[in-house]
Amino acid sequence: MENIQAYIESGILEQYALGELSPAEQAAVEAEAARHPEVREELAQVQAALGFYAEAHSVTPPAAMRERVLANVMAQIAAPATAATPNAALRADLDAAVSQNPSAAAASAQPIAGEAVIRPLTPAAEAPASSRSVWAMAASVALLLSLGANALLYSRWKDASSDLVALQNEQSRFATTTQVVERQLGELRQENQVLRSDEFRAVALVGTKDAPSTRARVLFNPATHKVYVDVKSMPALPAGKQYQLWALADGKPVDAGMIAQATAEGADLQEMKEIASAQAFAVTIEPAGGSASPTMPIQAMGAVAAASKS
Amino acid sequence: MSDTSLISLPPAAEADLVRRLQARDESAMTLFYDRYSAALYGVIFRIVKAEDEAEDVLQEALVKIWHAFASYDASKGRLFTWVLNICRNLSIDKIRSRQHRVGSRTQGLDDSLTAQRQAAPTTFRPEHIGLQEITQKLVPEQRQIIDLLYFEGFTQSEVAEELNLPLGTVKTRARTAIKVLSKLIR
Repeated sequence: MENIQAYIESGILEQYALGELSPAEQAAVEAEAARHPEVREELAQVQAALGFYAEAHSVTPPAAMRERVLANVMAQIAAPATAATPNAALRADLDAAVSQNPSAAAASAQPIAGEAVIRPLTPAAEAPASSRSVWAMAASVALLLSLGANALLYSRWKDASSDLVALQNEQSRFATTTQVVERQLGELRQENQVLRSDEFRAVALVGTKDAPSTRARVLFNPATHKVYVDVKSMPALPAGKQYQLWALADGKPVDAGMIAQATAEGADLQEMKEIASAQAFAVTIEPAGGSASPTMPIQAMGAVAAASKS
Repeated sequence: MSDTSLISLPPAAEADLVRRLQARDESAMTLFYDRYSAALYGVIFRIVKAEDEAEDVLQEALVKIWHAFASYDASKGRLFTWVLNICRNLSIDKIRSRQHRVGSRTQGLDDSLTAQRQAAPTTFRPEHIGLQEITQKLVPEQRQIIDLLYFEGFTQSEVAEELNLPLGTVKTRARTAIKVLSKLIR
């Protein structure tokens, strides 16, 4: 059991899903997945997560591309396998049907031929033969007509089923959008609660002389230890740098988490790490990913008013 | 559980598509295109970063998917995962051979990342609403690692080297990021 957990946590499933493994290693992972449902489930989740990430980057190709690409693809996939083209298949069906017909007619003719042995009337024997060929021709024509009708119905049915899939796609996309919107609404509600709650203390962070234009607000709840940050303005950072929030507790800086780029641009409230107690909050610029303790001068700072209530 | 993911056609429709492709029904490719081209093209474009090449790769991928369809095994994973991998591999091959031609193995992380950042939002605007959420939920350093792994075709060790981080850190961040993503699906 624990071995499986360690295996899952080793990161090999991520490597598998990202296509980093050699064929032998891939086979080994597939064998593990076949043997252990936990591994299988985890792998499916990793793949679904990456698929989700990929799908999030969807870009509808230019409309003109559709005809072009599909035509080229059809030409390429049809060329080597001529026998499998619909026309050839149809023709083969037809040949088979027509070649079956005369033998059916011959079979039904046999009793007549048997009678003819008893009463050999030559003109009578010829008549059924010619009417037989008329019937065979009529049957062939009927068969051709019915094949044509079938082909037509088949193509209509295909159109209908592709319309259906298109509608299903549309519907699932719509459902997705609704889900996302609902989730975002939930988040906004939560943010609203934070903003309206009396338990939260608003700490205004004011820019130091290094960054006089910086304005932000920290919302700190000493009871639940929740911390949110709300940026009004922060200068954009060069690549590889990121803002980091610190709580100052008894003069010591405690990492309160990295400020996401979207937050720094003022997009949203961001929930930060939980902080047990703080007298002040400060922001520094750190290398992307953050530092264990502040390495750069403070960009903005603000004290928590009446913080020592607890 | 993973069936509720956004990626999927309804399972019945996916099974139907698979059946038709297995039966070598060429008209199914049109359906396939209509369903998956946006997702596949988005990924291919993010990797090769040029419209004409992205079209070539998409076309090549569709032909390959048709010819290799016998090797798709539904018990090993979803159709989308399988076709996505084919597209990713072809795209990564493309940029590798291009880098070979130009003679510089990697253009350096900063260049490639800024190029990516600029190319994506201005000329191409992914229409999927989920992207916004992802941007909010993944901290930048997680997103950077996922992008390098997924869209630049880096291995985890190459990422570690490029970002000057311990391999263990890269693995942990990649795993955490993927966890965050799978939470978003549910």
